[in-house]
Amino acid sequence: MRIIRNIFILALTIAIVWPVAGQTIGDFKMDETELYAMTKQMGQFMRRFNYEEDQFGEKLNPKDPRYRSNEMRRKSLPILFDQQKYGTQTDLQRYFIEDVTKDDSTYMTFLGGRWYSEVSTTFRYNGKLVNVSLILAVEKEGLGSKWVLTNVYFSEFNKLFPNGEMAEREKHFLHPMSHELDFMNIYKAFQNPEVIEYYASKEFQPNYLTLFFYEIKQGKLVFQHVDSVKFHVFQIKDWYFEVSWFNRSGMNSGWLMSNVIYMPEKEKTNLIKFYQP
Amino acid sequence: MKKIIATLVIALCVVGSAMAQDEIDYARKQAIDSLALEKVRDLSKYIKIVGSKETPFSEANRVIDRAEELFMSDAEIGVSSLGSNKITYYRVRKYFEHLMRLNYDRVEIEWYNIEYVSDLQRQPDGTYVGVITIFQTFRGYDKEGNLTYKDTTKKDITVYVKRKETQIGGRTIGFWDVLLGDMRVKETTNR
Repeated sequence: MRIIRNIFILALTIAIVWPVAGQTIGDFKMDETELYAMTKQMGQFMRRFNYEEDQFGEKLNPKDPRYRSNEMRRKSLPILFDQQKYGTQTDLQRYFIEDVTKDDSTYMTFLGGRWYSEVSTTFRYNGKLVNVSLILAVEKEGLGSKWVLTNVYFSEFNKLFPNGEMAEREKHFLHPMSHELDFMNIYKAFQNPEVIEYYASKEFQPNYLTLFFYEIKQGKLVFQHVDSVKFHVFQIKDWYFEVSWFNRSGMNSGWLMSNVIYMPEKEKTNLIKFYQP
Repeated sequence: MKKIIATLVIALCVVGSAMAQDEIDYARKQAIDSLALEKVRDLSKYIKIVGSKETPFSEANRVIDRAEELFMSDAEIGVSSLGSNKITYYRVRKYFEHLMRLNYDRVEIEWYNIEYVSDLQRQPDGTYVGVITIFQTFRGYDKEGNLTYKDTTKKDITVYVKRKETQIGGRTIGFWDVLLGDMRVKETTNR
């Protein structure tokens, strides 16, 4: 019963939010309703999220009373969720919408920072095709902005720096009087290359982007193609969500929220370090 | 000729009164959107003409020349299908030549009546960049008139908007120039 009610609510919402449009070409009818409903660009996701465009996709004048109207946002935000995962009226969705449409509501902005693109790519590495995830962020520069690489995830790099057990780590150090012996014992650090990093400061963090650039410059990693793109958004107060591309028929397609997590601001700090060390 | 006059009128509509004015207000943005859409509609028209098997070779080549003029000189067209992540890159001329040589007896190319224009963002050198999204259906038929191939593609077209100056009657007039850049052509779920 609840499912039927939810489907009805979704259909009603879509009917209110997006118009039905169609045209006949030759022998077949082209129904544009689905394409209106599709969130076609990430920029449109932001505009719909903020309600900066109307149901016809027309940009609203900032002086228009509907511009960023929370009442309109409450109607249109459910469509920005991946309905196959989140349904139409889940508690999480309700909390999210209530939260972002409060009086001190938060909006997404292109230059607002704390949103990242994860570009899944294929490279050739030592003769094999491998997956490399590139993390990019928008950075202000000169008269405008640009996307810049902030981090990279490549499993081969992570294997180089395993966490290791504490007991093992504690076996590897240069004693504090080594300097008096002209560091004659330092050769031990290089005997075991796989744990060389144990001899570094506890503050040491491998910089994967530097490793990545090194391998590219050495000609060992060769770019092949982009496989997919998604976005990680930390901009909205106390929430984190991913926006992914859903290439499918129906009234819920395009750029949609695929993973929504309640995350107090203080918990975001560590996670953001992965995207922008 | 009518087209050139119309484009000139739109271009002059977006002329700013102050020469140094680089920020774009809401009304001017709308005028620039119209100018950009005009170029994209021209592109759609050219794709249809070049794709048609009824267009004579010489006419198709003339239209390809016009199409090239819409784009920046280094623009590329990246095409992918549902079955593969691989993107095939074409220069504008090659893309049109490929379209002209498609091995069908008859093709139908139609555009959905939907155009989505992004906000304009400035790149570091001050040039504004936007993306216009359009949708196309393609149908290829064999000699017997049987439909042998069909797809619906989403075309995301980069639009560069730059402030330029020209001399008219001894006066320096500023205007916003629009050129198309890279275009991503992606097959969507069969519709």
